[in-house]
Amino acid sequence: MSESPILSVEAVTAGYGRVTVLHDITLEAGRFGNVGLFGPNGHGKTTLLRTISGLVAPKSGRVVFDGKDITGLSARAIVATGLIHVPQGNKLFPDLTIGDCMALGAYSPRARPHEAENREKVVKLFPKLAERWRQKVRTLSGGERQMVSIGTALMSHPRLLILDEPTLGLAPKIKDELCTAVMDISRGGVPLVVVEQDIEFLLELSRQLFLVDHGAVKTEIRPGESIEHSEIMAMYFGH
Amino acid sequence: MSVFSDIFFGGLFQGSLYAMMAVGLALVWTTIGVFNFSHGVFMMLGAYFAWQLVAFGLPVVIAFPLAVIVMAGAGWILQASVVRPLIGRPNIVLVVVITTLAAGSLIENGALTVWGPRSKQLPSLIEGNTTIAGVGVSLHQIAIIVITPLILAALWSFLNRTRLGLALRAVAQNEDASHLVGLNVTALYGLAFAIAASLAGLAGIFMGGYRFMNPSMGADPLLKALIVVVFGGISSISGPIFAAYLIGFFEAASNYYFGLYWTPALLFLVLIATLMVRPEGIFASRSRGLA
Ligand SMILES: Nc1ncnc2c1ncn2[C@@H]1O[C@H](COP(=O)(O)OP(=O)(O)O)[C@@H](O)[C@H]1O
Ligand SMILES: [Mg+2]
Repeated sequence: MSESPILSVEAVTAGYGRVTVLHDITLEAGRFGNVGLFGPNGHGKTTLLRTISGLVAPKSGRVVFDGKDITGLSARAIVATGLIHVPQGNKLFPDLTIGDCMALGAYSPRARPHEAENREKVVKLFPKLAERWRQKVRTLSGGERQMVSIGTALMSHPRLLILDEPTLGLAPKIKDELCTAVMDISRGGVPLVVVEQDIEFLLELSRQLFLVDHGAVKTEIRPGESIEHSEIMAMYFGH
Repeated sequence: MSVFSDIFFGGLFQGSLYAMMAVGLALVWTTIGVFNFSHGVFMMLGAYFAWQLVAFGLPVVIAFPLAVIVMAGAGWILQASVVRPLIGRPNIVLVVVITTLAAGSLIENGALTVWGPRSKQLPSLIEGNTTIAGVGVSLHQIAIIVITPLILAALWSFLNRTRLGLALRAVAQNEDASHLVGLNVTALYGLAFAIAASLAGLAGIFMGGYRFMNPSMGADPLLKALIVVVFGGISSISGPIFAAYLIGFFEAASNYYFGLYWTPALLFLVLIATLMVRPEGIFASRSRGLA
């Protein structure tokens, strides 16, 4: 079962200016399927994902994706490897239409040949987007914008998709819809790394969880280890 | 009738020049979020490059386009030297005002050294005059009135109909998200400056064909372009284009009825009144985007 990890973060230290947010963080992803990350707000989950995708340059340590050292590569070079990051929030491109966003998703030379096929996948996953293809992003609801975010990432033909709080701030009904879509993406064969506050969803989606606390991995939960929801909640809040 | 056509042609002509200048300023603001205060110097440089190429003996049909292309390179270089190193700094807007002003003054003095203070003139796009609706206009002016909308339309379709244009519009709206779809943000910034410098250079060539050129010829057009852009709303390129023509017509009418002397003051009065009613047109606007 345990293959080599698709993504490994080795003793990475990173932050903003003089502020260090990640302290020697180490984790491996993909050996046991999807990976879930959780932990209190402001402890560096977003910073970790931004470091992986090249938006933040690490001060030390290594990031290896599918056997290739991607530490310090530009975000563009990392997109070209197929590691695709759906950022937190859904600010996106407010004045572009959904169609424009999808075209942008397929901008990289790697994704362009698959544009039509991926567009079909996105439309099938999010039929709502097809109805609003020519509508500007700023006019969409929060849930719809999250769909555009994820759809744009799928247009980039991901080999690994990292999602930063995809259901943050959404109403229950639309949240369920997105959770289902994320599960569908996973079943479609794209491995996921997901940051989420909703532990139930993470437990359903992934077989390996990491608790990120003060910029480091505090606890790792492996598949097979039976774990109670209440225990996780205790870890979450009990520090 | 002749009064009307006088104002009409004068307004169209001035509006064309203003639009050509303002659109580049707006393009750079919307994509990079900085104001390029060497934009007026780009205009001057375009005119002088064209003059130099003509002086080398090149025919106008080659010299003028070549000067515009050289200006694209100049814009790219300026961006790489005084803007790119500052990207990501929180006070970038103010710092770039200073660095582009400094670069502009350096280039202006360079031009003074190379070409001297004596006024020069470029050949017209088309020689000759004609009479339309009772007013005498030069064919050069007619050419500018016709060429400008064509170029602006080409720019509009580039931005709205091509993948590269889409990328430029995207960078204007969200830099992080642009990185995450694999856009070459640095190159797109360079491209925005290159296009802006070319358009300014072309405006310089237009101006050099009917007025004497000197190394500080770009100062007034820069000021006008700033007014146009502030007046028209900064977060698009269609706003400034509209405003450019509006101000062109206003000036032509005001020149006719109140005289050259009062026109600048009246223009500022209208500008201030407009901004009191619609303040979101100006710098304060948080959203950037090309449309
Ligand atoms: N752009 C930034 N500049 C400076 N500090 C930041 C920036 N973004 C996040 N931080 C800080 O880094 C820390 C970790 O934030 P973040 O990675 O967003 O945590 P999480 O995603 O776990 O909530 C916080 O203290 C936050 O204030
Ligand atoms: Mg976060």
